[in-house]
Amino acid sequence: MKSSYIIALVLILVSIGIFISASADVSTYATFETAILSQSRVKIAGTLDKKKPMEYDPTVDADRFVFHMSDSEGVSNKVVLLKPKPQDFERSEQIVLTGAMENGAFVADEILMKCPSKYKEEEIALRK
Amino acid sequence: MNEIQYLGEHLWVGTVGHLSIILGFVASLFSAFTYFKSTQTRGTEFSDGWRSLGRIGWMIHSICVFTLFSVILYAMSQYYYEYQYVQAHVSDDLPMRYILSAFWEGQEGSFMLWMIWHAILGMFIWRKDYKWESPVLAIVVLINAVIFSMLLGLYVEIGDTAYKIGANPTLLLRNVLELPLFMNADYTSLITGNGLNPLLQNYWMTIHPPMLFLGFASTAFPFAFAIAGLWTGDHKGWLKPATSWSLFSAGVLGTGILMGAIWAYEALSFGGYWAWDPVENASLVPWLFLVAGVHTHLIARHTGYAIKSTYLFYILTFVFILYSTYLTRSGVLGETSVHAFTEMGLGLQLVFFVAFFLLLGISLYIYRYKSIPAPEKEENIKSKEFWMFIGSLVLMFGGLLIISSTSLPVYNKIATYFNEDHIGRVIEDPIEHFNKFQLWIAVFVAILSSVAIYLRYGNKQRKWNKVSKHIIIAAVVSALMTYLLTFWISYKGAWQYTALTFFGLFAMVSNVDYLFTQTKNNVRLASSAVSHFGFGAMMLGIITSGLNQSFISNNPFVFGETMDDETRKRSIVLIKGEPLYSEGHFITWQSDTLIANTRHYDINFKKIDEDRNVLDEWNLHPNAVYANDFSKISAFNPDTRHKWHEDIFTCILNLSPPMMSQEQLKEMEDTLVYNTYYANVGDTIRGIENDIVVEALSYEPSHPEYNPEDNDFGVSLVTTFHNRESKKDTTVETALGLRGPLVYKYPEKIESFGVRVRPADTLMNMIFPIESDLVYTNHTITQGGSFSVDGTTIELVELNNKPSKSSYEPEDGDIAIEARLKITQDGISYPATPVYVIRGNMPMSIKHYVPQTGTHIRFSSIDPVNETFGFKVSQQSTELPPLAIEVAEKVTRSDLLLLEAKIFPGINIFWSGTIMMMMGLLMAWILRVYSKNNSKRKES
Repeated sequence: MKSSYIIALVLILVSIGIFISASADVSTYATFETAILSQSRVKIAGTLDKKKPMEYDPTVDADRFVFHMSDSEGVSNKVVLLKPKPQDFERSEQIVLTGAMENGAFVADEILMKCPSKYKEEEIALRK
Repeated sequence: MNEIQYLGEHLWVGTVGHLSIILGFVASLFSAFTYFKSTQTRGTEFSDGWRSLGRIGWMIHSICVFTLFSVILYAMSQYYYEYQYVQAHVSDDLPMRYILSAFWEGQEGSFMLWMIWHAILGMFIWRKDYKWESPVLAIVVLINAVIFSMLLGLYVEIGDTAYKIGANPTLLLRNVLELPLFMNADYTSLITGNGLNPLLQNYWMTIHPPMLFLGFASTAFPFAFAIAGLWTGDHKGWLKPATSWSLFSAGVLGTGILMGAIWAYEALSFGGYWAWDPVENASLVPWLFLVAGVHTHLIARHTGYAIKSTYLFYILTFVFILYSTYLTRSGVLGETSVHAFTEMGLGLQLVFFVAFFLLLGISLYIYRYKSIPAPEKEENIKSKEFWMFIGSLVLMFGGLLIISSTSLPVYNKIATYFNEDHIGRVIEDPIEHFNKFQLWIAVFVAILSSVAIYLRYGNKQRKWNKVSKHIIIAAVVSALMTYLLTFWISYKGAWQYTALTFFGLFAMVSNVDYLFTQTKNNVRLASSAVSHFGFGAMMLGIITSGLNQSFISNNPFVFGETMDDETRKRSIVLIKGEPLYSEGHFITWQSDTLIANTRHYDINFKKIDEDRNVLDEWNLHPNAVYANDFSKISAFNPDTRHKWHEDIFTCILNLSPPMMSQEQLKEMEDTLVYNTYYANVGDTIRGIENDIVVEALSYEPSHPEYNPEDNDFGVSLVTTFHNRESKKDTTVETALGLRGPLVYKYPEKIESFGVRVRPADTLMNMIFPIESDLVYTNHTITQGGSFSVDGTTIELVELNNKPSKSSYEPEDGDIAIEARLKITQDGISYPATPVYVIRGNMPMSIKHYVPQTGTHIRFSSIDPVNETFGFKVSQQSTELPPLAIEVAEKVTRSDLLLLEAKIFPGINIFWSGTIMMMMGLLMAWILRVYSKNNSKRKES
């Protein structure tokens, strides 16, 4: 089995190598502040700032939705999402955006939302 | 407080169900224990007795599993909403065909599905593998005991905190929730259920979970055989009976995963078949370990090497199935996955589930490690087993890489136990991350599964030049094909993708060659060639359909304000009825129809050449599904045109906000600003963007939503809008209807002009004056006679003592007479039918109004002696004051939809490849079962 041990060892070394290189794919959730500093692509988690207005007009550009989000530090910033306005957006509890800071706005091309209950309604429906 | 005697509850379901859970849990523990004793006393006279007890326990446990499954399914099919599980998953409007889907939508249901497969599969051990029955079934029934515990629904208090053990699916709603509703003894007749998520109302939801759970359940058997081998110390004996189990399991689990991919592609809006989603990964990884195990298993049976790794692979397979259950059901994945179950508070119990079987497997493995036999001699590096073993290691490392990245949320969770301020880490772009590494795993597997097939087990190898000839020819053919393919697809200038294509083709070519030159009609060898060919085809299919997918919906008019990002160019906005040009196609939203709770959109595609000749034309029907109460759209389903060489996939991504939900529609309506205009018929009003002509006032309104009834009084305004910018005209009719005391409004809209129009509230009063404003004059005539008021002639045609057409509603004891009148003005006659009623000695009259002549007429008295009849008439001017109309302009269009249209070239290569992989595994399984039966027959 010696030759297979050697190959297994090689595989383990390769995996460790892959792991180290893969750590570049992993990042922490940034805040608007760190996003401004890094100027690179980051993920930001936060909640919708309901006090500020939202802009979405599919007749002008369906892939452009502007809103404000508060990050984990509580800082609210303008967000330009290059996607249609997601369903149930107002109900979201948490938003995760991927993108970068550009001219004071966070320009995102990916969004993930966490909604209060994805599949279940808490109320009991009455017969009509 | 007195106990309420509830009505309409079916308590027997809960009693039988709960009893089945408790009895089933106890019986499975009993069966596990007695089978354990039977194994421990093997070779002695006691073993058979213990085994018989084990079988009784097994039988009782099976009956409980089936009973529980049946009663809950029955309660769901009968809509017994008093049960929380029923109420949560079905609803009155849920069609019967989705009852099974609703059953396993919830975690409890899917646990039951999992158990029932264990119970069914276990029967085959009982019949076929007498020697291994006790140890194998001891393990399987122990697994079911653990699953039963997930349904116990007990609360255990340790210190101040109460821990929940399992979630009981037989609980009554009124025991779960405290609501004032339950003060009503007849509450069951008042409530309905939440129903099945419309996204899951799909036949895939009926067939995918049973297949996947059959796959999950089947992995328990290679695991149980491996444990049995370690336990009894018979390290070689279990290999033979376990072979067909592991082949079956690999084939079925693979098919289950594949069905999930087809579902995602065909029926969900994900726009692809694989997204490296944590839930997908979690079921793929155990399959990779299982396939690795199948290969080392074959090595072990042929040469005696690799028994240790086979043990390890089968233990890992099952442990990772449990781990995937933990990932998807504990809520740990959080926002990283699109389709995890909702949290049930069983996280801790699931951790125990994984840990228990991991420790059982690994500690037994370590304990027996030294006694596991292995040949003294080192493997020959030129032998088949050596390279197969390497291939298994590659598969295992591939799986480990996937699961390590997928487990990132788990590390984050663990880290927060030590440091509450830990900031969670995430993978930025999962698809790119996984593709980058798995590409090389695929290349390695392709090389090994094409070269190793030409080699032989052991030391009697063929001459190298015989083998190399085949390899070189296959390589040359594949290189040529890789080049030829560039006329169809592109490698995007990346050598990695060129390599992936080349090795995929290499695996295909060499396995075809192997099939025809090497297998010599041995079907068993052929099955491996089918699987390996399929693997190569899958790689090629990923390049054609994944790397080369393109968008028809490419919005050329949108300019990115910041980055030139690909994601911006994936969707187009369609306006109803207006063709849009995109990427060589004219795309038109022609119409849409609502059937049940689904709106089907008819989208027409015309492929054109440079001279605008239509090359090809087709229609696709993506749809939007409304929530069960129609309050909003809850899902979009795609539609795909399947051609032999490519698929054209379309899905609606979004509609304009007012079309998405009632709430947003109302919000939009509330913000509209209507201007009121007054105009006579024929007048032109100058609006903000339109010139509006009131064409006519009609007393016979026609409006798509207005269905006139007998006693209605309806009026409509026909208006023509001339849009000053587009210079186009559109005529619409907007109506008012008076039904009893209620006025109904029927507004109209012209989307392309941004116009909403409706009659003003005051219009009804203008046309239908208020009674107190009228002045009546009295007239008396005989039948056939007539009289005139202000140039209007009124003739009494006949009398009718059974009034029918007027707004008179008869009551018992009424005496009612209807006068049929002919009212003539300017040579045109209109009928009128006022009614005279005596109700309880009180005379009453029911008015008739003829708007065309402005005549209000009442039948006021009857003189039976002189046979004369009295009428009261109020004659109004037919010249109406200017009509009031309300118009809102510059309204945002709402007939918009956002469409994605994608081409998947050669997707059938991908599907055939993956299907062939599974077919090869299942073929191998069937052949083994078949030959086993044959050899048994020969023996007897």
